[in-house]
Amino acid sequence: MDQLIQVLIIGLANGLIFALVALGYTLVYGIIELINFAHGDVFMLGSMLAYFLIAPAASGGWGIFPVTVETPLPLKIAEIVAVLGICIGTMATINVAIERVAYRPLRNAPKLAPLISAIGMSYVLQNIGLVWGGAYQRTIDSVFPSTNLLEPLGITAFAITPAQVFVAVVTIPLLIALSLFVSRTRQGRAMRATAQDPDTAGLMGVDVNRTIAITFLIGGGLAGAAGVAQLLYNDYTQYTLGFRFGLNSFTAAVLGGIGNLQGAVLGALVIGEVNALSDYYLSPNWTQAIVFGVLIAILVFKPTGLLGQQLADRA
Amino acid sequence: MSGTTQTIGTGIGGWLGYIAGLIAALPGEYRTALRQHRGSTIGLTVLFILVVTYPLLGHYVLADFSRNVFPLPFPDDTVATFMTIFAIMAIGLNIVAGFAGLLDLGYVAFYAIGAYCAAFLASPHFGALGVNLVFLGHVGPGAAGIHVPFWLILVIAVVVVATFGALLGAPTLRLRGDYLAIVTLGFGEIVPLVFRNLSSVTFSLTLGPIVISLANVNLTGGVQGINPIDPPYIPILDWVFDARSGPMAVYLGLFLLAIAILVARNLEHSRIGRAWGAIREDETAAEMMGVNTVRTKLLAFALGASFAGVAGSFQASYLGASTSDFFDFSISILVLIMVILGGIGNIWGAILGAFALTYLDKTLLPYIGQRIGDVAPSLPNPAEYNFLIYGVILVLMMRFRPQGFLPSRQREAELSVHGLEDAERELGVEVETDNVSIAPRGQSETGRDARSPEVPGEARDE
Repeated sequence: MDQLIQVLIIGLANGLIFALVALGYTLVYGIIELINFAHGDVFMLGSMLAYFLIAPAASGGWGIFPVTVETPLPLKIAEIVAVLGICIGTMATINVAIERVAYRPLRNAPKLAPLISAIGMSYVLQNIGLVWGGAYQRTIDSVFPSTNLLEPLGITAFAITPAQVFVAVVTIPLLIALSLFVSRTRQGRAMRATAQDPDTAGLMGVDVNRTIAITFLIGGGLAGAAGVAQLLYNDYTQYTLGFRFGLNSFTAAVLGGIGNLQGAVLGALVIGEVNALSDYYLSPNWTQAIVFGVLIAILVFKPTGLLGQQLADRA
Repeated sequence: MSGTTQTIGTGIGGWLGYIAGLIAALPGEYRTALRQHRGSTIGLTVLFILVVTYPLLGHYVLADFSRNVFPLPFPDDTVATFMTIFAIMAIGLNIVAGFAGLLDLGYVAFYAIGAYCAAFLASPHFGALGVNLVFLGHVGPGAAGIHVPFWLILVIAVVVVATFGALLGAPTLRLRGDYLAIVTLGFGEIVPLVFRNLSSVTFSLTLGPIVISLANVNLTGGVQGINPIDPPYIPILDWVFDARSGPMAVYLGLFLLAIAILVARNLEHSRIGRAWGAIREDETAAEMMGVNTVRTKLLAFALGASFAGVAGSFQASYLGASTSDFFDFSISILVLIMVILGGIGNIWGAILGAFALTYLDKTLLPYIGQRIGDVAPSLPNPAEYNFLIYGVILVLMMRFRPQGFLPSRQREAELSVHGLEDAERELGVEVETDNVSIAPRGQSETGRDARSPEVPGEARDE
């Protein structure tokens, strides 16, 4: 039982990172019906950038924010916030540039053309990661101590680590902020209108191109934050990370009902747990196959996902 | 040709008769073609002679010639063999993605299944389980493991892979476009994973009195894969040539490729082929016209997959080994790029794309990398970043030439009519894309001619 709780906690932390990436998929799909294949690789580049910012020059990084376990807490927070800011900003910019170069010219082309373009873009980004970071796994020393925060409460059978708390502290406010942005602000309303019907939204005075660009901006920013969270939580990054993580997150978005923000978060938590349970109780060798199995099963049996799509005819 | 391509008999006898008829009609057809399209016929003839003579010529003459005179390297026998393997796959994917318009991102799965068919049926692998069966093989009797002759394996691979194609197709038929692409991608990832992970199977099944029990059985060879696999075997010629090396393997590949072209061409112009076109253009309309969309799509999946089965089992026999690492997602994408590069929907385009990209991937980029390495070893080797180049190719192709370099006339019309969907939306009517090869250009946005009796024209008025 204790072991199960421990596995679920690990799954929850990974699920929160998936959620940030899944939101990028679901936002873009909701608005232009494109599976943004390159999104996972934007996430990968985010974690790669975070690696270079943090890792000391001795291990091949730039060491601009050389945060380690020993760094005093205020400085540590300041450095991590700086890394987050840089990664979010850079990835948001890159994502907007990708939209401009690879997707916008294909807005009126047959539906599969932007998808194929996205696959091409994914390979471009992946190889940028390969050129940049090399073929091997890049690891950093843990930034957070491996203490059990539950120990003061007298619980020792399972643990919540500071790294897991960090993931929650980064992701949950972003999820809430995004939800408020989409539901409460003028720009959020423009996004929802564009998602429903771009032409009518345009006639009503919504700048469709700008709205789509902002969607990519937000998606890229979330992917950048997720990249930092991934690096600091799992202590590694690699150029292939985008493909695997991306498919997990995409599965999460589909599981929740693509186009549905709450659904993406719920789906991501479920996929995080599926990953953790399969890793522990079955074998890490089978985890990918199980996630794909889940993906296929949902698409075949309930393409609208758990919470349903915001638009019914998207399958 | 158009007259003969319509009539295909059933069964092997029908096929043999058909091929014999085709060969008998060839001289006459050729004279007619020469009269009507002098330039292109002569060009194609030269190309044909080049392809047929290349393996021998390249092996004994051109290799030296290119080393000394020609600035670009010639593909060696291995690369030439892989050209034929990838061309067969590109033709198969072209059936699924080009003819039927179903984007399959997991095509590598069928390639893998084909390869493992050969690995299971022509290697000592199952000897460890005490399963020894030599069936008509050219391996001596008493050899460990299962040994089935190469040609029979090809047939078995086609059947097995087509079955898997149908199995994948069946539950996914309701899905459209991008969702289908993702499901196939998932399938393409699961299959090699299964081959990788089934290296230690413990299994027990009780069926009444029969108890099947296995403990720690190495079913698929795991990460190491399965080797050695029996080489392809060509009766009679095998005494003279080794089909695993030298130009003989290229000829074998070309022979299989020729069969693939023949089959694909006939499918394209058959009733099924026209139904695929109709589904690709507009599934709902096709269904209204009486096309059985479920059956037609299933056939596209099964038949398209079977080409990969042939390519896979030929590849495994040729290399003598099969490992799961080889069947990566990137192979699916590579074949997709071949089809797109050449011109989606066009068999010759797919072949051209396969030849060009295989040459680029296996000969030209390593050669350039070597040259760069000689001059400036610190510069990146383009062969290591090949997919960077392919990614750029995909993005640029979609942007500037979505119809490919040898476009199919129908698909060209579809892909070049930008804003057609907008027009549909604005007019509130459904504007039919030009699927009429006989319609004059310029009428593509309004042309409503019917292509064939299967797609009756009278029912198509708005």
